Amino acid sequence: MLTIARLFGKSPFSPLQSHMKKVSSCIKKLSEVFDELANGRLENIEELVSQVSKLEHEADLTKNDIRNHLPKSLFLPIDRSEILEILAIQDDIADQAEKIGHLLVLYPLKTPPEFLQGLNDLFARNCDTFWITRQIIKEMGDLLESSFGGKEAERVKGMAEETSFKEYQADKEMHALQKRFFEAAESFSTPVFYLYTQLIAEINQISHISEQLANRIRMIIEVK
Amino acid sequence: MSLDLFLLILLLVAGFYMAWNIGANDVSNAMGTSVGSGALTLKKAVIIAGILEFSGAFFLGSHVSQTVQKGLVNPDVFAQDPTILLYGMISALVATALWLQTASYFGWPVSTTHAIVGAILGFGVIVGGVHSVMWPEVARVASSWIISPVLSGIIAFALFTVVQKIILFAYYPVEASKKAIPVFTALLFLTFFLNFLTRGIGGLSVQIPPTLTVGLSFLIAAIAFIGSKLYVNSKRFTVETESPPPNLIQHVYSLNKALKHLQRVKLSTQGERREEVASILRSLRGVTDQVRNESGFYVKSNEFHVVEKMFSSLQILSAMYIAFAHGANDVANAIGPVAASLEILRSGYLHSTSQVPSWLLAMGGVGIVIGLATWGWRVMETIGKKITELTPTRGFCAEFGAATTILLASRLGLPISTTHCIVGAVLGVGIARGISALNMRTVREIVMSWVITIPSSAVVCIILFYIMRALF
Repeated sequence: MLTIARLFGKSPFSPLQSHMKKVSSCIKKLSEVFDELANGRLENIEELVSQVSKLEHEADLTKNDIRNHLPKSLFLPIDRSEILEILAIQDDIADQAEKIGHLLVLYPLKTPPEFLQGLNDLFARNCDTFWITRQIIKEMGDLLESSFGGKEAERVKGMAEETSFKEYQADKEMHALQKRFFEAAESFSTPVFYLYTQLIAEINQISHISEQLANRIRMIIEVK
Repeated sequence: MSLDLFLLILLLVAGFYMAWNIGANDVSNAMGTSVGSGALTLKKAVIIAGILEFSGAFFLGSHVSQTVQKGLVNPDVFAQDPTILLYGMISALVATALWLQTASYFGWPVSTTHAIVGAILGFGVIVGGVHSVMWPEVARVASSWIISPVLSGIIAFALFTVVQKIILFAYYPVEASKKAIPVFTALLFLTFFLNFLTRGIGGLSVQIPPTLTVGLSFLIAAIAFIGSKLYVNSKRFTVETESPPPNLIQHVYSLNKALKHLQRVKLSTQGERREEVASILRSLRGVTDQVRNESGFYVKSNEFHVVEKMFSSLQILSAMYIAFAHGANDVANAIGPVAASLEILRSGYLHSTSQVPSWLLAMGGVGIVIGLATWGWRVMETIGKKITELTPTRGFCAEFGAATTILLASRLGLPISTTHCIVGAVLGVGIARGISALNMRTVREIVMSWVITIPSSAVVCIILFYIMRALF
């Protein structure tokens, strides 16, 4: 009789990691968009942004799969609500990537090079935060192995602290860029000006959400 | 005499079929985890399980067999017409076999133990009357069905919590397991031999004085301790990354704390002091980062893999333990009724003091082994693939908890369900945040199987009994 085998439910942790993998491929695609932008090859951007959208949709499908496979009868080492919350935050990052992509193709951008460089730098800073958080999710398996405690937990805590620091750096970068941008505000047309303020704010959201995600996982460890 | 001969053959075939069934279906629960975690190859697992199941059945199977044989229904009630008891036992066996076959066809989680006990009770109540059933004994058995999964869960929970505290949460898990594994090995041997020797070796009816038992058990445990110490210190278990001196790790912890406290001071003060604290904080940050880098604390290592590798050898021992305990308890389901019937066939009645013959236990053991060899290995293969969740550390804790409970119950002569004990133990590990997802529906299924199995097998047994009496 297979009673013992039936005792093990479908674990939500590896789907959680594969969802994060999809999210990170969104971010990767988006950085390709920024690369093309920096090189002035504007004709490829439209195509790349639609790929970002597609990846975001794939992430959505994985998300729904996890939600469907988390029945009430499943007993998990951490709360169901916590898993769903982590999932929701992860998904927010993918949504953010899509949003930024759409803003980039919304209006033909004739960006002066110094601001283009600024945008690129801001995006790179935000990605720094994201990649550390990505690493934390990757270590989820080891966290589980050590039942969310001990050395592994301590390491994840350290990484969460690092994301906070990177997020702070990204904020500083944003403020500097905003300042420069507003100083030159007179020279932009209204739609471009609006678009830029939007872009800066949305790009900076990536680091905010990543930090939030890192802290969410850190809370699981603290509560233990 | 030809009727007797026919009954004898029917009896042996039914008993053997039951033993075969146990070997085919239930042994995989014991050894499946070791196959799944890669601690044992399928072939080795089958051989080891075969040997241990047989010895469990042969050496310790008599206690539970006696309970099933004459502990549930009072044989004295049937003294004037023992053939009724004979028919009853045979129909109980056949009913259980039929019920199990049906259940496994539909994939219901039923227990052999519950089926046989239900069948015998059903026959006893309907044919012999309510007074023929020994209710205190039945109550003992029924309560053990609830207590045993809970107990094995508690043992597994406690053991896994200890493993967490001293190994998984340690700075150096590998070093910690090198210290802990010999202790666990000794503990395993100690509980095993204390259980095994105190009641005398049933199959051989050898009695060993208690002081000698305790002394012997401790001696064996000590030998096991030394042996496993030598084993874990052998070269095969080394961590790839160089371990930094242990006090560096301690420093990282302490510095982290200092940072936290200083931060708190900084936030709650103002003015000049705040500046002062902030400057201390800055330089402390620098030092902490440096120490962190030196300690390699945040570098990923393969320590957990080495720990699991070490525990996989320990898990082989615990799997053997559970195979032995399983043989000791479950052989009774097949042999108990056969022993009762044989006694009636041979001498015309069933003494309340009659023993279970050793050769019958051996036959049960052989039946289990054949069931394992012909069909059980296949179930083991499937189950092994499905329960890879039980890594060696978790598997060891679950198996130790379950095996100790089962062996204890076997010694007390209580027929319990080994599967339910293992389920209890796995839940125990899960509650200690050890397992990523447990399907609680299985627990409901188990309770359902109690509710359904006992009346069903009782009804089937009663029907068979009346058919048999009408025929002969």
